[in-house]
This record gives sequence, structure tokens and C-alpha cells, in this order.
Amino acid sequence: MKTTKLAKVTCVGLAISMLSTLAACNGAGGESSEVTTIPSQIETTTAQTEEDLPYDYGYGVTFHADEPVTYTMFFSDASWYPMVDTWKTEGVFKQIQDRTNVTLDIKSYDSGDYMENITLDINAGNAAYIIPKIYDDSAFVDGGAIVPISDYVQYMPYFTEFYNTYNLSGDIQTITRSNGKYYKLPGMKEANLINYSFVIRKDIWDAAGVDVVELEKTWNWADMLEALKKVKAYMVAQGMCAEGDYIWSDLWCGNESGQGSGGNLLGIIAATYDCNAGWNMGNGMRYNVDQDKFIFSPTTDNYKAFLLTANSFIESGILDPETFTQDDATATSQYYNGKTAIMSINQGQYANYEENMTAQLGAGNYENYVLTIPVGSTNNSTVSPERLENGVMISQKALDELGEDGFLELIRFVDWLFYSHEAYDLTKWGVEGEHYTVDADGNKKLVDGFCCGGLGYGNDEAGSMTDIRLQWGYAGGNFWYGGTVAEMSDNLIPPVADYVARDTAYRDVPPLAPGIAPTEDQNEEINLIATPLISNVNTWTLKFVTGQEDINAKWDEYVKSCEDLNVQGLVDIYAQLYK
Amino acid sequence: MSSIDNSSPEIHVHNPKNKIKESTGYKVFTVFNTIIMILVSFATLYPFLYLVSQSFSSEQAIIAGHTSLIPEGFNINTYIYVITRYDCEFLKYYLNTIIYTVVGTVLSLLFSSVLAYPLSKPKLRINKFLSPFIIFTMYFGGGLIANYVLILKLGLKNSMWGFILPMLISTYYVILMRSFFMSIPKDLEEAGEIDGLNKFGVFWNIAIPLSKPIIATMTLFYAVMYWNNWFNAKLYLQDKAKWPVAYFLQTIIRGAGASDPDATQMSANIKSCAMVLTVLPIICVYPVIQKYYVQGMMLGGVKE
Repeated sequence: MKTTKLAKVTCVGLAISMLSTLAACNGAGGESSEVTTIPSQIETTTAQTEEDLPYDYGYGVTFHADEPVTYTMFFSDASWYPMVDTWKTEGVFKQIQDRTNVTLDIKSYDSGDYMENITLDINAGNAAYIIPKIYDDSAFVDGGAIVPISDYVQYMPYFTEFYNTYNLSGDIQTITRSNGKYYKLPGMKEANLINYSFVIRKDIWDAAGVDVVELEKTWNWADMLEALKKVKAYMVAQGMCAEGDYIWSDLWCGNESGQGSGGNLLGIIAATYDCNAGWNMGNGMRYNVDQDKFIFSPTTDNYKAFLLTANSFIESGILDPETFTQDDATATSQYYNGKTAIMSINQGQYANYEENMTAQLGAGNYENYVLTIPVGSTNNSTVSPERLENGVMISQKALDELGEDGFLELIRFVDWLFYSHEAYDLTKWGVEGEHYTVDADGNKKLVDGFCCGGLGYGNDEAGSMTDIRLQWGYAGGNFWYGGTVAEMSDNLIPPVADYVARDTAYRDVPPLAPGIAPTEDQNEEINLIATPLISNVNTWTLKFVTGQEDINAKWDEYVKSCEDLNVQGLVDIYAQLYK
Repeated sequence: MSSIDNSSPEIHVHNPKNKIKESTGYKVFTVFNTIIMILVSFATLYPFLYLVSQSFSSEQAIIAGHTSLIPEGFNINTYIYVITRYDCEFLKYYLNTIIYTVVGTVLSLLFSSVLAYPLSKPKLRINKFLSPFIIFTMYFGGGLIANYVLILKLGLKNSMWGFILPMLISTYYVILMRSFFMSIPKDLEEAGEIDGLNKFGVFWNIAIPLSKPIIATMTLFYAVMYWNNWFNAKLYLQDKAKWPVAYFLQTIIRGAGASDPDATQMSANIKSCAMVLTVLPIICVYPVIQKYYVQGMMLGGVKE
């Protein structure tokens, strides 16, 4: 009998605790999903106890603490330019310390494990004060370990100046949570610059009689296909390849880097048709300006047009279908050897491609040219309309340990470090006069004897130059965010600057999608629907593109398969979020 | 009287020439089996041989996609570079791994055997209470965050013990050892006690010397476990100077596959060199000791 009573009491206790948990869960997830608006301009304010501050700060002023201060900071350490002691003793951290009297106590993790390790630390109550390199902050905001930084941005003169000057309220809205606050200080850009495009062997294209410089101004994908056919015909005639060979074998699309979605190439083509695909698939939802609502783009007519376009390159024997399964090295080796005449590229890879091609083909035996991407259903550029980069979070631990005044000092230091022109130049280029010079036109150049992989300045053949990133930590990924167009462009080599300029001149900036702020529950619901749905879309997409399925014949079946996976549920959630 | 059979009994003498005649089907099976096994062996070996070839090839040959099983542009420059870069950091990681493996294996053997021996005594009452707790850990863990907080609060983060202690005792290996100890005849232990040995004396002077096979196997198991482990280093060793080579290798491989465009600058032959150097000791030792691996799974697996 005793046991029975004990069991009953235990059951009641368990039931009560479960109900309490459920109630608590409901409370946590029961946020409002109303769209909140953040101010279009932020007025800089000063704290009530501003007099006799123990530090200097302000727009155009170098932050400097009167007494030495130490702040902990997480650091994403890349294995291809690992942090070494000289970064602290004479490099970037020493320079920051000399200028600001702030010592950064670095808690570094390998970049591949960075998010996992800092998540552990934050959840274990072991967070650093400054948490950089954050792309998605959603895993942290509900736990209360991160300060809602929007409550404090009015104390940050550099941030507010940039925000106000370039009207970033719409962009910031996209990272604002349902409670009207945002939790990370994002890298902000004056405008987006094109990054990914295609590089071609211009010497071959010219010889084939394709005037790409003129053609690309207004060309569409069909024009590009015709041009490629001419190029292939020329290459076959010259014995550079056989009729059955492909002259386009692309990287960033295979199983590994393409993540089973077609990666970069399909993302680019789809973007020109106002659709999500490849790397940019996300959950498939896309804001449609004409309809002023969010739609599921993979079942639209535009998506079908995109599929037909992508498939046309394979059907015509131009694009190798193995592009979507192969290693990146397979694609690059073919381009370097001159077996193919076009391949994807981004800003950072141009110098690398040239270096490898010179080694393979010899200098002067090739000419590269980066294309302006053809138009699809719109004349929009493929750049992201959102002018935000990854950003910095500040931990609640900092507020708790430093107090309100000490916390304001910290965020004003952070403001200088991540948003001032002075810190931007320092963390990107090093010390002026010592590592780089600026000419009368404002152009920056590394001093002789220095190179930097991160800035596109390669080493000489003997490897005798000192890499300022490897040696001192400049141009690393933890500091280098956004900025003005001038700042972002100051290290572009001429061919890259040229294609960035052509994209800006020939294409339109895509419209910015309005910000929506799903609650935790809505996010979970979106993920539950989107995960199998997007897997289904990617599978069908690759089959359509590679010609395993006939697009026109199977389109309805494909759309039906998506509908069966509750596309409407996803659309309804977005409709609710964006009323 | 019954007649006696005087004929000499047939004596079977083993003669290698006197083979049982193999059927045609068996011969065909053997041929096919051999061919398949050769193909399987080749498929297994090929990636490793390719890796070795790549590590000795020139960077340009790799970029050009000319690598095969025979290195092109043979050189050992990459090995020299991998070993000497950043003040010979690779050798430091290597040394760390050797220290962790030796210290960890010795301690693991000590603690595992000390735990397994009393568990092998069915008459020891506390075993009924202790065993479920030990077995429980095979199926349920505290979770990543709980373990992380524990190591943090114990002050073990960033120390060698943060790497070693979480792996100190493997429940599965303890159970294997326990089963082996159970197979030691009681009479021997009782004889030891009659001769004046206490319980620890019996364990140390009788049980341990009789358990060399299982100890050899456990040494191998624990050593391989410590040599290959990188996950604990990832969680608990923030200071790079304390990394084992397996974690360094992990960062190199992942770095080269990272989406950051600069990551691809880490060339393929650096990656393959580091991999070859890391697995080399295991590759060298394994053919000699692999029989223990197989035997180890059998030892203690059967209770007599």
C-alpha cells in the first residue's frame, strides 16, 4: 500500500512539474509577432553620468581609456592563417592596445568549431564580453545571455553616424526580433558590391569572334549560350577539345561545397529570375515586390524559366553535368589547363586563378575576364539587397560584471573598433607608413616587401615577402566588416574593380525585402515545414537541370509534390508575419 | 575362437599431397572470392595510396589534376614545410599526442583494471549496487553542456587532464576486463590468500600476471583511442600549444574545405602530408598488432 501511495504522489508531482514546464514553454514562446519598426534615424545621446569620464570617445576621436582596461573577446581562428604570438606582441592586438589602452584577452577557437564552442561557453555562463563573427544570433537571444544592443546604440557615435548617413533602418529591421530589439551589431555597408560571377578565357572568346565586352551590357542567358556555342565550335576546330567535351565545368556546385543544392551556379541563375535556389535557397520564401507579399519561389513560373535556362546549357553540351557532383579541384584544374573556357569566380579568387594559370599555361598565354552576369526575368544584379554583414554580440556577463558605466565604456570601445575608419584601416591594412602607404588620390598600397593573401597581394615566387596577415593578423575575418564603398573597394585589384563597376553600371539594385520577425515557435514551425520541402525541391531541381527529368512534362508533378509537403503552411506563416 | 584379423590397421599419415579433391564449384568460388577480395583490398588501399602519392607530388601537378598512384614532380618539400612551419608546431602537436597517449593509456589501464577486478567477484555485495550505475553510463550521458560545465568548474579546461580524464575509463573495456578476470580460476586466488596475500596482493601478484592478454589488448585499444581523439581537444583545449596532432589535422582538413575562398589556398599536398604523418605510427604498428585487435574482441567476451 505504501508503494502505491508513493507512486501516486510521484505521479502527481511529475504531472505538476510537466504542467509547469509546459506553462513556462508557453510563456517563452508566446511572444507577439507584430511587426515592429525601428527608428529611421538614431539620435546620439550621452549617459547621465557623462562628466569626467575615464576615457576619450566620440565621432572622429580615437577611443582611449585613462587606465588600462582588459576585455575578453572570442576569436574565430582560421587554420589557413592561424593566430600566432606576434599578433599580440607586435601585431593587430598590440596596435589596438597602444592606441586605446585596452587589452583584448582573446579566447580563440578554430574557425570550424567556432560557433559550436562559443555556444557551449555562452550556455555554460563562460561567455566573453565581445563576441564577433556572428551570422545568425537566433540561438542566443532567447537565453538572456546576450544584451539587446539596440537599447544602447545611441551611445555609439560611429555606429549611429553610419546608420544615419546611409539610411540603414530598413536593413536593421531584417535582424530585429519580435520584441522590437536587435541583439547583434551588424557589419554595415554603404552598398553591396558584386562578389560571385564567371571568369572566361577572353583570348579564346575573342578568337571565336564573340565581342563579350559589348554583348554583356544587356545580354540574357540565351545570348550567353549562343556565345558559348561559338566558343566551343572554335575550340573544336582548333583541336582544343572534342565535340563531345564540355567547355564549362564549374566549382562550388558539387556535393561538398554545393551542399546538394547546386551551390553557387544555380543560386546565381535563379537570382536573375527573382527566385531562390542553390546556396541562396534558404526556405524558398521570397518577397515579391509586385504582389507586395512573400511567395514560395520554387513553384513559380519564374522558377520554371530558371530551370529551363540552366538545363539548356547541359542540353547543348556546354555545361558538364558532373558539375553538380564533382570536387571543386576537378573544375579548377580543367580551367587552369585550358580545357574549359568559363568558370565561377569571386573577388578573392582572381589573383589565385591567375597565379595557377601562369604556372600551367605560362604568362601571356591566356587572358581572363570577369563577366557581367546575364539578365533573366529582371535586370537586377545578383548582389544581396541587404546591406548587412556578420556582426558582434555583447554578452550579458559584460553588463553584469562591468556595471552600467563600465558597460558604456566597453561598447564605446567596440564602436571605435568595429565602426571607425581608423580601426577599419588598422585592422585591414596595418600601420600606415609601416605596412601600407596612401597616395594623393587616396589609393592604398602595401609597402614593398609585404604581401597579404587576404587583400589579394600575392607573395613572389621565392616566397620572400612577409604576409601581414600571417605575421601580424591584419586583414583577418574577425574585424573586417562592411564600411563605405570606398573602404570595401580599397584593396580590389583593377580587373576585379572593373567587373564590380560594370555590374553597378549595367544592372539594377534588387529591392530590399521588408523585415519580418518570427517568434521562436514560428521559427520552429517554419523549419519543420521547410526542411523536407527544400530537400524535395533540391532533388527535383538537380534532376531537371541535369536532364534526368523533363521539365515541361514533370512540372505539375513537381509542384504537387511541394504542395503535399505543406507549401501553403509556409506561405500562411509569412502572410501572418507580413500583414 | 574367433579369427583374429591380422591385417595391419590403416594408418592415416598427414601428407600434404593427399588433398581432398576440390570440386569444380569450390574452385570457381575460390577464384571469384580471391578476385573480389583483391578488388576490395585495392578499393580500400587506393585512397590511402593516392594520399601518399599526392603528398609527394608537386603542388602544380596536383592543381593540374595529374596526380595518380605514382607521384608527379616527386619532392619532400611539403613534408619539410609541414614539419617546420610556425616553429615546428606540427612536432609540438605530435609530442603532445605521444604524451597524452602514454599517460592516458597507463592511467586508463590502471583505473580500468582496478575497477574491473572487484566487479568480477559475484559474491561482493556492493557489485549489485555499483554495476547498474556503471552500465548506465554506456547508454546515457550527461550531455555536452553538462560535461562541459563540469570540466569548466573543475578547472580542467585548457589542461592535459581536461583531455585525458573524460576518457579515462571506458565502460565497455571495463566489462571486457571484468569478464576476463572472472575466468581466472578461484583456486589460484585462494592459494594466494592461504600463502598470506591480501586482496590487493592477490590482484597484483596473481590476477594481473595472468591477465597479460587482456591487458595487451586494452593497451592497444586505449592507445588508439587517445591517439585518434580530437573531440575532447576541440571542447577542452583552447590553448593551441596543448592540441594533439589529431585535432590539428582536423582543423587543416576542415580549413581546406571551408567556404571562405581564402581557405582553398591551403594546398592539397599540405593536407595529405599532414594526414600521412598523423596516421603513420598507427599504419606501422597495426600490421604487427592487428591480431590482438581481433583476439581482444573475443577475450573476455565469453564467460566460462
